[in-house]
Amino acid sequence: MTEILNSLLTPFHYEYMLKAIGVSALIGVVCGFLSAFVTLKGWSLMGDALSHAVVPGVALAYILGLPFTLGAFVAGLLAAGTMAFIKAQSRIREDATIGIVFTTYFALGLVLITLFPARVDLKTIILGNILGISDPDILQVIVISAITLLILGLKWKDLMLFCFDANQARTMGLPTGLLHVVLLTLLAATAVAALQAVGACLVVAMLVTPGATAYLLTDRFGRMIFLSSGMGLVTSLAGAYASYYFNGATGGCIVTLQTLVFLAAFVFGPKHGMLAARRRAANADTSTSA
Amino acid sequence: MSEFFEPLNYAFMRDALLMGTVVAAMCAVLSCFLVLKGWSLMGDAISHAVLPGIVLAYIAGLPLALGAFAAGLLCAVGTGFIKRNSRLKEDTVMGVVFTGLFAFGLVIFSRTESDMHLDHILVGNILGIARTQIVQTLVLGGAVLGITLALRRDLLLICFDPGQARVLALPDRFLNYLLLALLAGAIVVAIQTVGIILVAAMLVTPGSIGQLWTDRFDRMLLIATLSAVGSTVVGIFASYHMDASTGGCIVLVQGLLFFGSLFFAPKYGILGRRRGQA
Amino acid sequence: MSSREPKTTEFMPRLDVEGVTMVYANGHLALRDASFHLSSGTICALVGVNGSGKSTLFKSIMGFLKPKAGRVSISGMPVSEVLKRNLVAYVPQSEEVDWQFPVSVWDVVMMGRYGSMNFLRIPRAIDKVKVEESLKRVSMWDFRDRQIGELSGGQKKRVFLARALAQGGRVILLDEPFTGVDVKTEEEIIALLRELRMTGCIILVSTHNLGSVPEFCDQVVLINRTVLAYGPTSKVFTEENLTAAFGGVLRQFHFEESTIQDHDGRAVRVLTDDERPLIFGKDGHLEYKDRGQHEELLRKRSEEHD
Repeated sequence: MTEILNSLLTPFHYEYMLKAIGVSALIGVVCGFLSAFVTLKGWSLMGDALSHAVVPGVALAYILGLPFTLGAFVAGLLAAGTMAFIKAQSRIREDATIGIVFTTYFALGLVLITLFPARVDLKTIILGNILGISDPDILQVIVISAITLLILGLKWKDLMLFCFDANQARTMGLPTGLLHVVLLTLLAATAVAALQAVGACLVVAMLVTPGATAYLLTDRFGRMIFLSSGMGLVTSLAGAYASYYFNGATGGCIVTLQTLVFLAAFVFGPKHGMLAARRRAANADTSTSA
Repeated sequence: MSEFFEPLNYAFMRDALLMGTVVAAMCAVLSCFLVLKGWSLMGDAISHAVLPGIVLAYIAGLPLALGAFAAGLLCAVGTGFIKRNSRLKEDTVMGVVFTGLFAFGLVIFSRTESDMHLDHILVGNILGIARTQIVQTLVLGGAVLGITLALRRDLLLICFDPGQARVLALPDRFLNYLLLALLAGAIVVAIQTVGIILVAAMLVTPGSIGQLWTDRFDRMLLIATLSAVGSTVVGIFASYHMDASTGGCIVLVQGLLFFGSLFFAPKYGILGRRRGQA
Repeated sequence: MSSREPKTTEFMPRLDVEGVTMVYANGHLALRDASFHLSSGTICALVGVNGSGKSTLFKSIMGFLKPKAGRVSISGMPVSEVLKRNLVAYVPQSEEVDWQFPVSVWDVVMMGRYGSMNFLRIPRAIDKVKVEESLKRVSMWDFRDRQIGELSGGQKKRVFLARALAQGGRVILLDEPFTGVDVKTEEEIIALLRELRMTGCIILVSTHNLGSVPEFCDQVVLINRTVLAYGPTSKVFTEENLTAAFGGVLRQFHFEESTIQDHDGRAVRVLTDDERPLIFGKDGHLEYKDRGQHEELLRKRSEEHD
């Protein structure tokens, strides 16, 4: 019995595991919080795009020895700007624009990485490497998370109104242009932080799945934020812990857990779940025929 | 000049150029339909979703392409199913499903002893492909390209006006699934060349370039194919000389071609339009 | 913060649109030299075909678009100033709202109070009172905990009207309020708008449903890329003006008899499916279903002006 307990506690004996679990949890909460807005605003693809588009920035920053967050952030905003420009100037549809821009940016990053293979590791960027995260990188993640949580915590109501009815927000004198930029900037910033934990391919999951799950479970925005942040926290904690047993595939573990929780909510959700909907449909049938 | 063509002396480079051309043409033709149907990011989603299929097929000793194809279809069908049965928007569902499958693929990969390189699956490895695979690529790629071109009128109709397709008693559901299957097949073939992450580019950019140059579908197909094949050839040469990622170079050249068209395309380019107004 | 509290009881707005010219980014002229003036206590219809510049005009009154020439002012203040005082409220078209959004009726109406709340948007006692009053006024208090998608079409409209009330809006813009709404609800909304008119609000309703206009709008602005005519409904709503505004789009029926001449004992009966028909009498005057109320209002108005 104690043996099993001991082996379950092994991950906690390593400092790098404790750090990884702690940092993942922080990133999980921040991404979960933001994912409520991303889901409702319909910005899922934007999250995917930004997480890939920051790659050349990360590569350049490592090559030049700058903080990786700075490079990533600049690249993310540049990509968002490029998309806005193409959307305004051409007849290309928005989803195609997003696809073209982020793949081109990512390709640029890939070329940069292969040109300077010693400075950056491709796998770290694509898959994340939270188990090997350096202390300066942890500090950057903490700063980003703190700022993001502060802004979201203070202004979530304004952002909610912006997502719900931007016109009304404007007639009440809310700076909707600024809110748009703030939300996009937060998205880029959290994508950068999440890159550390789960890598470029899975960032979008951290920014969409918790929000989507919470949306299936509640009809109140406040509760939705609470649920999505909580889900981000728990799945990231558990996923980082489990990754000890899965050869360090932290991102894979976290996101697989999130997807399982999502599927459970999708099937069993009390009100918006599939079974509940079927039951309602069946009841409606019997009551009309009766 | 002879120095530039030096790579042609190597058999692996000649193979890469041949495969790259076939894959580029196949993806370019499909991309025209996808762009018009608004499925631009379906390619991105399905390409990520094939990962668990590849790993599971490896474990089970089945052909990897089969596993990849099945996982890709599961992603497309699963997205449709969840969307119909929940109140979530389609792009949200797609984001959840493909990342979930990709993550699952990573997890089982981490528990599998294999000589597979994750890097090669993610970003492609066109320069190091075995001869047997080349045959497979040419046959499958040729089949996808052939079917797409043969059925292009029907496929165009379900992209442009699904209602009309139904009125004409065309099997619109079947055609939809066929397009998805062709997409999944193309992705499976193309992953060896440019990898999971950049397949999305091959499936969006050529069609969009075509759209900037013309209003006719047949010309769009032609322009898309030419631009894709051209950038693939240039990209492969560039990657040889710069010693940089081949997939990255191909997609980067394609991206530059898109931005060039965005400004200079005669009718729908930014500069062309300005002239038209003045 | 109290200085931002709109003084609902005393502010009597006046809307002046003077020589407004709007040009789109692509150089397309949306509206040329549009002018009209409205004083407080009116329900005014903004009537025109699609693409006539209705929504452009709306957006300029909401301050979303800056006119290339001319100006929009409310009681002499520029729009930006009025927006800061939360005096302009907006009721969106049903299609523009995400009805699945996870907010309750109470939440939506509370959002109308954001403009006068503090930085963190924490509701004070006064905000709660205002929300409760507004919800009771539109008879939606019992539904306050419902998610907004769980309401009927008319209830949804009333919630957004309650939001305008809670905001303290004195210039209320409604975008196509009657699309997708049944006749009974339409009448309920009209009754509510009439109450608001009594308190001195300016209510501007954009619509292409001509038939309902004479029923509840005392004034009309007819637009087609510019203001063709504006003023009291009976003066503006002539066949001639409407033909100018709508071109050949209108379907016309001519009746030889009139409902206004009660003494001759004959009546015309018109049945239509969903939209109210607009009915002109023999001499080109408008026919009303609710003539009494309308004439009462006109009499009051003329007394006020004397």
